[in-house]
Order: sequence, then structure tokens, then C-alpha cells
Amino acid sequence: MLRYIFDGTFEGLLTCIYEAFYRRQSPDSICCWYQLQEDLISCCTEIRTDQEKADRVLKSIRSKISAKALDHAFHAYLSEIDDIGVWIYRYLKLGWKIGPSVDSCLWEDEVQMVQKAARKTEGECHRMLGLLRFRELQSGIFYAPMGPDHNIVSLLAPHFAKRLSDQPWMIHDVKRDIAAIYDRKDWTIALIRQKKALPLHGDELEFQRMWKQYFKSVAISSRRNLRLQKHFMPSRYWRYLVEKN
Amino acid sequence: MELKNKVGILADAAKYDVSCSSSGSSREGEKGSLGHAVPAGICHSWSDDGRCISLLKILMTNNCIYDCKYCVNRVSNDVPRVMLTPDELVYLTINFYRRNYIEGLFLSSGVFRSPDYTMELMIEAIKKLRYEYNFQGYIHLKAIPGCDRRLLTEAGMLADRMSVNIETPTSDSLKLLAPQKNKEALVGPMYFIKERILEERENRRIFKASPKFIPAGQSTQLIVGATPESDLRILTLSQGLYRRLQMKRVYYSAYMPVVFHPMLPAVEKPPLLREHRLYQADWLLRFYGFSAEELLDYDNPNLDSLIDPKSDWAVRNYHLFPVEINKAEYEMLLRVPGIGVKSAEKILRARRIRALDYDNLKKIGVVLKRARHFITCKGKFYGSTFREEYQLRQQLMPYQAAKKIRIEDGEQLSFFSQILPRSEEQSRFLVRAGEV
Ligand code: SF4
Repeated sequence: MLRYIFDGTFEGLLTCIYEAFYRRQSPDSICCWYQLQEDLISCCTEIRTDQEKADRVLKSIRSKISAKALDHAFHAYLSEIDDIGVWIYRYLKLGWKIGPSVDSCLWEDEVQMVQKAARKTEGECHRMLGLLRFRELQSGIFYAPMGPDHNIVSLLAPHFAKRLSDQPWMIHDVKRDIAAIYDRKDWTIALIRQKKALPLHGDELEFQRMWKQYFKSVAISSRRNLRLQKHFMPSRYWRYLVEKN
Repeated sequence: MELKNKVGILADAAKYDVSCSSSGSSREGEKGSLGHAVPAGICHSWSDDGRCISLLKILMTNNCIYDCKYCVNRVSNDVPRVMLTPDELVYLTINFYRRNYIEGLFLSSGVFRSPDYTMELMIEAIKKLRYEYNFQGYIHLKAIPGCDRRLLTEAGMLADRMSVNIETPTSDSLKLLAPQKNKEALVGPMYFIKERILEERENRRIFKASPKFIPAGQSTQLIVGATPESDLRILTLSQGLYRRLQMKRVYYSAYMPVVFHPMLPAVEKPPLLREHRLYQADWLLRFYGFSAEELLDYDNPNLDSLIDPKSDWAVRNYHLFPVEINKAEYEMLLRVPGIGVKSAEKILRARRIRALDYDNLKKIGVVLKRARHFITCKGKFYGSTFREEYQLRQQLMPYQAAKKIRIEDGEQLSFFSQILPRSEEQSRFLVRAGEV
């Protein structure tokens, strides 16, 4: 069994794919080192991330398959679903064989797996565009903590950079200790270890109270349907929702 | 009064307006401005009744000089009356928006003093939002029936969507329940808005930069179950609104017994199942190429309560099936029970590459439980044959029909354990729908 390990970055994954072609190997598994159990480390081939190789793979996906396929691969990678690495590899391999129509070959396992994973990421991202809640901090920064299933913070940032362009904000993925930070000009991704509660702005709680009041008043009691509510808004998201706290 | 309490009262009074959609408009934010609108719309929360919250749906005031029988805000109803100032409204909207609670504002109002006076108040608030705060989020504005055309034009330049509620399916019912409103006051503005949209589109072809007039179009709403009209009547009306007025959406609101009045039916529960079926049928009108006359006729004027309208149509037109999955036109694929727009598109794309068999279909994610009775794959039929129509109907009912319906309807319906002949089914239906 041939197993590649890489550093967990998208460039790393692309480098693995480059190496697989270059070495004429076909790995059975591609995973990043922190997802690996100790005892398996010995039978792994470590792939060092190489920006140049990654860029060549990137270009080749764009020109020989399609921009859409690159999106699928990237979003599938962000899903962080177990073993998605090797499926992305197989999907791209098929893509290089048959070209842009790869995305219509829905009966092929690799196409299905990758598209499904990508859809999960995109779905959660769209949901979070609505469910994210900012709190104004004493410092005037609007702070939004979240704990999503997939690694979506880099997909959320452009939306909020456009929408809330005149206020500084930070979207914090508490699960992964990363955050997107915006300073009214640009946003960047940074590693963050913030466990303590941050001091809120004086008016913040008043707005939270008004929002809770609104949330309560707008429900029609003769149509009460908590199951439907949960269906759209699963309880794992409630922790950071002002109105559900 | 504290702002929080006003919010409570005015949201409570606004909640019977169904629309919360924030779709259909794209406003580009720019550096330094607040907000943008995305064409697909975004839901921000779901309230305890399972409805999506996208916009801050609120009334300017619940003070109203009219006396519509079905409405909590009617003048003869004894409730506390409050009013927001334009500044308060702006303050709320901006601060909710900055926290990502909402996608924008849905502003409606009771008729305070006069239609014009009310409309002017609303416009003042929205002007502040757009010009003083450079707010580029979504705004849905209710047009107050009977207000001046000049105000409609002004409002349309500021809002993304406008709506006038048509309230009841016929003007006779309207006369009965909303004596101060008349058909002209409701439909007149709709035509006017439509003309303005067309005119503005023409202008934009010449002057690219001319301002947009409600880019997300207009919508309307009608109450289901307060008056005796059939589903056929309602769907024919909706069809007309879509075709002639280019309405973006027609919303249906199950009649809710918010007030007691001798002229209104005494219903305990809103007819949610009927409302649900109307939405399904409405969907078929808008996206599936069906016409109201195909779905219902004078002998069957109401939608089936046990199976969805598309399945019902397929049962009645069983002679058109089965269709070959590799040859059927897109329009026909869409008419197969269980195949929706997404599945039909997948099939089209996939069959360009190879002829699909039953397993391929399954693999590409088409749900075949119901569809298999209506299709062939490479000439082979995988469904069952039925001697009687009711057997087929039974196959098309959701597996856990009873359970499902409870979700939609909030009550257990005992008749789901057995199939009743149509007439009896219907009479129960009428009782449940609260028709008088
Ligand atoms: S005009 Fe509107 S707010 Fe006033 S009573 Fe009629 S429906 Fe209610």
C-alpha cells in the first residue's frame, strides 16, 4: 500500500499529485500528517510542498480540464473529509484523460466523491453567510466566532469584505484556530489562539436583546414547528447564534 | 416606550406577511458603503415556526384607519398602537445589518392618517438609509394601496422590490372583508409598477447609467382559506399575475384566525397543507411549464391532499408514460414524478456522453422510487404495472405520509392510514381548509 503524506496545505496536495505523475506511481491514500495515526507513519512517503510544482498542476487543471474542476478540487479539499485527497487525485487524473466533460461523468466514483465533498463545503459556506453573527467589541472591531464542519473561513471572507466594507471585522474559526481579519482595506488569514471571552462594546447587549425580541415576535405561534426549524438550522450551529443562546 | 418593546409589537404585527425573500437583486457594494445584495438571497435565521428570516420585517406603525376584517391592525381592534420614527428604523436596520442578523429591510405599515402620508413616512426612512448611510442592502417596500403614483415612482427608485397584496382571490371577497380597499386600488399600482419597470428597462438600453426601478420586481400575497374560492380559481389568478403582470412571486398565506369575526370562518388551525399544495402547484407554473388548466379543471377544482400536484397530473395522464430517459425532451423529463429540475439537468448532461441505464441513473443521484413507474431506460421498464388507479396513487404517496404531513400540518391526520375515494377526501379537505 502506497501512502503519501503532506503538510495539509492545498499546495501540498497539488505537489503530491505532481509527484504521483512524475514518479508514475498511483498512491492508495494521500493524507496530511496530522490526520495520521502514529503507527502508520513508517509506511508513508513524505512529499515536500513545492510551490513551483503546485503552480504547474494548478495551471494544467485550468487549461486542460476547466476552471470549474479546479473549484471542485479546492472546495473538496476544504471539506476535510477523510481520504478526500486520494479522490481528488483520481478525479483530476480522469479529468486529464477526458477533458472538461469530466464533470458530467457522474457515474464515476471519483467524480461523485469530489463533487459531493465540494457541495458540502459550498453548502455550509452559503448557510454560514446567513448564520454568522458579529458582536461589536470594546475596541470597535466586529467579531464573529464560529465552529463549522468544513474549512470555510477563506470562502466567507470575500463576501464580508464586500458587504461590511466600512467596518473592521474578524471571523474566527474556533475549531481550527484560524481567523480572517479585515481592516477596512484587505483581509488576511491568520492563526489565532483566543480562548478568553473578549470585552463587548457598551451597546452590544442592547442590540442582542432587540434581536432576540424580534426573533421571538416574528414567529407565528399557531404554526409552531421546531422540527422544521432544526432542519434548516441544525443545533450544532446554535452555540454562536445570538438568538438561540 | 423603549425601542425594544416597539420592535416586539411592530414585528408581531408584520409577521403575517409571508414574503421574506431577499433574492433577485444584485447591488454592488463599494469601499466605504455598507452592504451589497446577492442575486440568490440569503436566509439568516429560522423562527420557531420554521419560516426563514432574511429581512427585518416590520411595520412603520400598526396604527391603521382601515378595517380589514382579517387583520390584527384593523381600526376596530383593541390593541396598543405604536410608531417608529424614520430615525429609529434606520438605527435598527443599520445595526442589525452590521451584525449580520439580516439581509435588509422589509418595510410595511398600517395606513396612518392617509395612504400618501404613510407612504411619505416610509420613503423618508428609506431615503435616509440609501443616501445618508449609503446602505446597499436589500429593501422590500410595501406599496400602500391608494397612494399617489408619484410616490410609487419615488419609492421604486429606492427599493429592490415592491409589493401590493391582492389579499383575496376575487373582488367580491375583497368587498366583504376589506371594504375600504377596492380592486382598482390594488391592481392599479401593480400595472403602474409593471409599466414603470418596462419603461426603465428601455431607458437603460439607451442610458446605461439611468437608475434601476425595483430590480427584484414585484410580488403579491393572497390569503387562502378565509373565503370560498377553489384552488383552480386561485391558480388561474396566479397564472394571470405571472403572465400579464410579470409578477416575480405570488405568496399564499394560510388563513390564520388572528381575529374573531362573524364574517370569517371559525378555523382552529390554519390550512397549512392546502397552502403547501398551492406552493407546489405554483412552482409547477413557474418552473415546470405547467398551466393552471392542466393541473385542475371544473370537475377537480381543488388540489389533491394525498399526493403532490405533479404526481396527480401524471396519474391522470398515465397514457403519456412511460418515457424513454435517453430520448425524452427536457420538458417531458420534468413532468416525471420524482424528477426535478436538478435531476433533469443531470440526465441531459450525462446522456450526451453515454446512453444511461437504470444503474447509471441511480448513480448520478436520480431518486427512482416514484420515477421508475414512469420511465424506461434503454427501452427497459423497471416499474410495476397497476390495475387500478388508486394502486398507483398509493405508490406515489410519501412513504411516511402520515408522519410527513404532521410536519407540514402540525396535526395528525387519521385518514392517511387509508385511501378514501376522492369525493370524501375532498369534503374533509373543505372542512379542514375552513371553507364556508
Ligand atoms: S389596511 Fe393593512 S394594516 Fe390596515 S387593516 Fe387593512 S390589512 Fe390591516
